[in-house]
Amino acid sequence: MRAFLSSDESWTSIIHMMARRNVLAGVVLLAIGLGYGVLTAGLPDRSLPGTPGPAFLPWLITAGWLALSTALLIQGLLGGDKKSKDAIGYCMPAQGWPALVGFAAYLLLLPTLGFIVASILFFAGLTWLYGERNKLLTSLTATIIPIVLFYLFTAGFQVLLPRGPWG
Amino acid sequence: MGVTGDVLQGFLQAIQPSSLMATAVGCLLGIVVGMIPGMTISSGIIILLPLTFVLDPNISIALLLGLYVGGMLGGSFSAILLNIPGTPSAAATALDGHPLVARGETGRALGVAMLASFAGGLFSCLCLFLISPSLADLALNFQAPDLFSLMFLGLTIICSFAAQSWIKGLLSAVIGLAIVSIGQDPVMGTARFTFDDTNLLSGIHFLTALIGLFAIPQLIGNLGKKTIDSTVRTPSIPFKSLLPTLPDLRRMRLPVTIGSIAGSFLGMLPGAGGPIAAFISYDYARKTAQNSNEFGKGAIEGIAAPESANNAVTGGALIPMMTLGIPGDPVTAVLIGALLIHGLAPGPLLFIEHADFAYGVIFSFFWANIFNLIIALAGLRLLVKLAAAPRTILMPAIAILCVIGSYALRNSFFDVYVMFCFGLLGLAMKWLDMPVVPLLLALVLGQQLEENLRIALTGSQGDISVFFTSPFSALFLSLSIVSVIWSIQSTSGMKNKEAKT
Repeated sequence: MRAFLSSDESWTSIIHMMARRNVLAGVVLLAIGLGYGVLTAGLPDRSLPGTPGPAFLPWLITAGWLALSTALLIQGLLGGDKKSKDAIGYCMPAQGWPALVGFAAYLLLLPTLGFIVASILFFAGLTWLYGERNKLLTSLTATIIPIVLFYLFTAGFQVLLPRGPWG
Repeated sequence: MGVTGDVLQGFLQAIQPSSLMATAVGCLLGIVVGMIPGMTISSGIIILLPLTFVLDPNISIALLLGLYVGGMLGGSFSAILLNIPGTPSAAATALDGHPLVARGETGRALGVAMLASFAGGLFSCLCLFLISPSLADLALNFQAPDLFSLMFLGLTIICSFAAQSWIKGLLSAVIGLAIVSIGQDPVMGTARFTFDDTNLLSGIHFLTALIGLFAIPQLIGNLGKKTIDSTVRTPSIPFKSLLPTLPDLRRMRLPVTIGSIAGSFLGMLPGAGGPIAAFISYDYARKTAQNSNEFGKGAIEGIAAPESANNAVTGGALIPMMTLGIPGDPVTAVLIGALLIHGLAPGPLLFIEHADFAYGVIFSFFWANIFNLIIALAGLRLLVKLAAAPRTILMPAIAILCVIGSYALRNSFFDVYVMFCFGLLGLAMKWLDMPVVPLLLALVLGQQLEENLRIALTGSQGDISVFFTSPFSALFLSLSIVSVIWSIQSTSGMKNKEAKT
């Protein structure tokens, strides 16, 4: 990757890409920082006169957050951190989004389907996304590993994993 | 019980069969985790942590220490065999380790690495044993302003990770502090940012945050990579070739001494850590060697110095962790969390209230170094094969372990969803090239930082001069400034060296 992007032209494109990301992140973080500040203003001020109360640290955080997000935004608008040649723009692998959607679906279905069934489906799907095409190996591991983990944690470590309708 | 009694009690705890077994298993897992490029020791410990909830604290810390020590050596194995450092600390080892492998001297390179690691680890264990109790005694005199300044010193480790971009590094720390501020405030118990949700009253558990931040980006990042088994070579390594010859042992003496001293000392400093210690030791070993022109081409000294240094860092980093409650590196930050889960707060009181446990940790660390050498020598060939286990099976299993780990904390799906949200945050930070370690440190130190700051300011009725008039506090604040400057200089120096080599 580094060798592939070694020319100045490639570095310039990375710097531009990072600059765009910095602008976007700066705007989002600024908005979150403002929201955090609004919530901080609503905190009760219970303290002795002249001493810090529960809102003391949140106010410091708000100030730091807003200053740093503004700096990030300005850095992005000015064209990025040109010194940061080590920064290689991170791109999520093509299978990344399906894996995240699958993960979210797994977590949502876990209470309903129970640990074993949901994990078998998730394990098989993730194994396929990692590039395993051997159906027998996938079926065996996707069945055995969740079952072993379920009994290890429920019987061995007393963790109350959800059993689901078949439990 | 006197000190001798505590030492004896600690020794007896560490030699319990269950503790020894846990240490050995930890070493084995650590070597494997360290050998897998893309897996870090921190991630390994975070994934293993939920398994330790139900274990006795002695056994659980023995397991995690074994993983810490083993991970350092495992990282060097992949650096030597594949020229891919399994851990950042092993980067310097690859400079001379891999050329030796290319010359067909694999056993010699690995043997030197194992022995140097062992020597460095034992030296740092001795430092840990001798320095920790005295430092803990001294730390008992600390007041709230001193403790605040000490936590602040601990946070200066951020500088090492923020050197790439100060704005992003500091933003990461601020995000961490904002997360810490969720829940009841540590002084008055006022609910903050809870949105009347009872799950948020006790705040975000740092472990759910760590699992999400570290494991999910790693799982996603590994999706696009080839399986390990296609890249790992399993060369024939006869046992005899692993044993260094007498001339090699003579050549190792000075670099191992340099590495052990530098690693133990630098490990104690917040922000220094393994990579810096390894490169500094490598540099000194080259300067003091008669055959400095051989460096980079397979010099024994070039393996011995960084290897002893990066393993000595482990013991060094445990000193401030156990006596002062501040982490020397990200792994010890996770270990602090592990101790807190078991109701043991690292710090000076650990040596007063749980002295037997504290000495038990030191002896477990000693055994971890012994087992590390034995396991590495005896099972090297098998270990290389274990590290080559198909990623297609390993990664889904890790994903499920992450879910179990976050659920097991409180048997609550809320924590699982929080873990997933932190995973998304970790990916966003990666996308933005923002370091995660400052956030981790803020999560570990944030609450104590706020508590001591507010207690100190309440005591002084808002007068901030209290931080400069207390000798300890003034010393820590001065050290913080030195640490910041030193971190910046050494990080840029190390980058220059990496670029040159």
